[in-house]
Amino acid sequence: MAIYLHIPFCESKCIYCDFASFCNAENEKVRYLKSLNAEIDNSPYKGREIDTIYIGGGTPSCVKEEYIEELLSTLRKNFVFSNNIEISMECNPNSVNLEKLKKYRSLGLNRISFGVQSLHDALLKKIGRLHNGEIALQAIKMAQRAGFENINADLLIGLPNSTIEGIIDDAGKLIQAGITHISAYMLQVEEGAKLYALVKSGKIFLPTDDESVAQYEALVSFLEKKGFIRYEISNFAKGQHECRHNLKYWSGAEYLGFGLGAHSYVEGVRKANARTFEGYYKGEIFMEKLTPKESIEEMIMLGLRCRLGFSKAKLFKHGYKIENNINFKTYLSKGILTENGDRVHLNPSYYGTSNYIIANLLP
Amino acid sequence: MEKLKRTRNFCIVAHIDHGKSTLADRLIERTGTLAKRDMQAQLLDSMELEREKGITIKLTPTRMKYNYDGEEYILNLIDTPGHVDFTYEVSRSLQACEGAILIVDASQGVEAQTLANAYLAIDNNLEILPVINKIDLPSARPEEVKGEIEDIIGVPAGHAPCISAKDGTNIDSVLEMIVKEFPSPKGDKEGKLKCLIFDSYYDNFKGAICLVRIIDGTVKQGDKILMMQTGKTYDVTEVGFFVPNMKVSEVLEAGDVGYIAASIKTISDVAVGDTVTHLNSPCEQPLAGYKKVQPVVYCGVFPVDGAKYNELKDALEKLKLNDASLEYQPEVSDALGFGFRCGFLGLLHLEIITQRIEREFNLDLITTAPSVYYKVHKTSGEIIEISNPSDLPSPVEIEYIEEPSVKANIFTPPEYVGAVMELCQNKRGEYKGLTYLDKSRVRVDYILPLGEIVYDFFDSLKSRTKGYASFDYAMSGFTRSDLVRVDILLNGEKCDALSIIVHKDSAYSRGRVLTEKLKKIIPRQLFEVPIQAAIGNKVIARETLSAMRKDVLAKCYGGDITRKRKLLEKQKEGKKRMRRIGSVEIPSEAFMSILKLDDDE
Repeated sequence: MAIYLHIPFCESKCIYCDFASFCNAENEKVRYLKSLNAEIDNSPYKGREIDTIYIGGGTPSCVKEEYIEELLSTLRKNFVFSNNIEISMECNPNSVNLEKLKKYRSLGLNRISFGVQSLHDALLKKIGRLHNGEIALQAIKMAQRAGFENINADLLIGLPNSTIEGIIDDAGKLIQAGITHISAYMLQVEEGAKLYALVKSGKIFLPTDDESVAQYEALVSFLEKKGFIRYEISNFAKGQHECRHNLKYWSGAEYLGFGLGAHSYVEGVRKANARTFEGYYKGEIFMEKLTPKESIEEMIMLGLRCRLGFSKAKLFKHGYKIENNINFKTYLSKGILTENGDRVHLNPSYYGTSNYIIANLLP
Repeated sequence: MEKLKRTRNFCIVAHIDHGKSTLADRLIERTGTLAKRDMQAQLLDSMELEREKGITIKLTPTRMKYNYDGEEYILNLIDTPGHVDFTYEVSRSLQACEGAILIVDASQGVEAQTLANAYLAIDNNLEILPVINKIDLPSARPEEVKGEIEDIIGVPAGHAPCISAKDGTNIDSVLEMIVKEFPSPKGDKEGKLKCLIFDSYYDNFKGAICLVRIIDGTVKQGDKILMMQTGKTYDVTEVGFFVPNMKVSEVLEAGDVGYIAASIKTISDVAVGDTVTHLNSPCEQPLAGYKKVQPVVYCGVFPVDGAKYNELKDALEKLKLNDASLEYQPEVSDALGFGFRCGFLGLLHLEIITQRIEREFNLDLITTAPSVYYKVHKTSGEIIEISNPSDLPSPVEIEYIEEPSVKANIFTPPEYVGAVMELCQNKRGEYKGLTYLDKSRVRVDYILPLGEIVYDFFDSLKSRTKGYASFDYAMSGFTRSDLVRVDILLNGEKCDALSIIVHKDSAYSRGRVLTEKLKKIIPRQLFEVPIQAAIGNKVIARETLSAMRKDVLAKCYGGDITRKRKLLEKQKEGKKRMRRIGSVEIPSEAFMSILKLDDDE
């Protein structure tokens, strides 16, 4: 089983962010830690074996090391950690130092994910990041010195003023610095984010869809040349460094989420904690038991995002004969979908339009 | 004085927006028919759509009481529609009246529909009472307008009350004149029942309701009645009149205007124009009735959700009940599935009906480009009439085609005469004459193909004359024309619902505009899609819709799968509103968009 821990604190909010994160919430930190510990202590799934943990945010690196230490020990107290457990944590390049990273390593963390987004200083400033390119590269070096082998960098595609050359340049430098994994996301303008208003009012201009797709495609072929495998729509890994935790989301495995806004999926039920401190402290949750139709939808949607694909037999077991879907046949004949025995995959050239295709395949 | 002598049946006719509904409201208010607190602006326009558009579409008769000279008079007001498309309904209601109030706007003066409606009233032998409205406006020129009425229409107007329906000025003098000027109905209360159905509608509790004018005799609950045209018989369950809500009455007698309910289940059993009499002692001769009107504009009407075909059918049946001019027959389109080809009296009528279906019956519709009907003379000697471009035979089978044309009278201030003539010329018009009505108005006469009018004539006329010109037309037969069908091909496949019939000379430009427009409206697909316009096998215009490149959800943050799934479900739901031509998905809006081809130009 997998565990997700949410640390909802940030030093500053990035303009594109609509996640559950808060800055200037210094006073909340103590109370939040207490609640989070209590939530773990009260989990009905105590005693289960855990093989991946992901500490995300917010910015988990902006709280003290002891904070993380306490949470991990609460987890250890309540769950069984498997031998080869993967423990990842998200960090901002500007909120780590060698000491801190060494401490993380000693706590058992073995995967670091840096929110790099870009190495171009002007760009970073524009989107509200606190680091610059140099700090990001140094942070990677420090992580290596602290003993981390498995290091991810997040990249954002389609940022204002971004270019193909700039992105390839960034990727080259990151690979040279020794990262083993890249998550590359297209910038999404969410209504809840500051960016939304800036774009609406014409204060920020974004690349067109065609331009950002061209950037993405250039990045994909560059990464492939460098030996990175696109094992999921937006995730690229060198060698065996796929993020095992994230793979669980895509493959329909079970996971427990602790903390504000955290999601769980256990025994066919999806659960989400409230996204505000108040709601979280009161224990407000959203819960849904997946109907057979929803399970089918998720299998197709999640399966096609990954190299793994989905299983026709499994869909059929849930009551959906996808062979009868007219679009399915068309997509196979046009090479948009490929079949390998029971498994169906999306041709990676069509990852960019996967929504359109998936929507046409749903029951 | 006997009741007949104290009864006045009248209607109000006017050019659109000259204040007909407002005056009706004032009359109702002044006679105390409704307390002021129960009034809502423009009461008789009961349809939401009517109030919104500021026009009257359906007829609503209202009974009012008015004391004059120590006697209580019964005034029956029958409201009438004001738009050219509804001339037919106006003439229907006129037959139930003896008098007509002709409202003229004190600053606008006599307009196209003032004239047309006045002539209709004169043709029906109605006494005409001109009323000058909107004298509260600073631009009012009541004396000049009275002169116009006398000069142009030829009706004495010296005594015409000058009123403001808006602020209530002089409403009493209108009521007085109604009593003094309009004749009381003639009729024999003791005679055999003879009454005219001038309108009808469906009531969920009482069945089909007949709106009637009693000519002779009396009718009451329990009577056995016969519809002389359809031959159907019924037991009367209720009679009454409108105040303006339904009010049950013991009896309706000669001269009255009211309603008859008789548990009539099937709406199509009530024929507007039919004569109602007693089954056991029928009158000898039915009334002349109404002549059937021929629709002039046709279009395909389809439910956006193909599964709602039957609901659309029910809606059309219900509307047909009190709108005999609406015609429809089933149609199957490759692109749009099952629907109906409907005939309308004009574009406004088309718009009103489709909007009523959408609002009152809660159905989303796709309507295809409006078309007129053509007479196709085939080489075989056969002549066929078609209203659906898809039905046009292949060019080799066609000897020639005739299209309907209209006599158009355009009223415009002199400074726009040039622009109006240029427009008519562009629309293949044939110049017939120019008449200076007075210093400020000219009438321009043209023969125009109806097909050009249904396309975008109204909008062009309005924009070229800054809204000052008005326009009226009457059908004037068929003209031989060089017409072709322009088809639209998407990814090489013909989309029947997008075909149009146009004059050969404008085929290229229309084809080009159409393909450009479709390129803007059709969302990008997984593949590149050529959009072509073609005459037969010859492609005359082409645009290319490039392939879609981005439609992807970003990060699946912290295992929030639910949100992603919901977004995809929504996307899938949206596809229900799409139609498919081969592998191309087209939003239903695309079919409508070609109705408004010139939006951007």
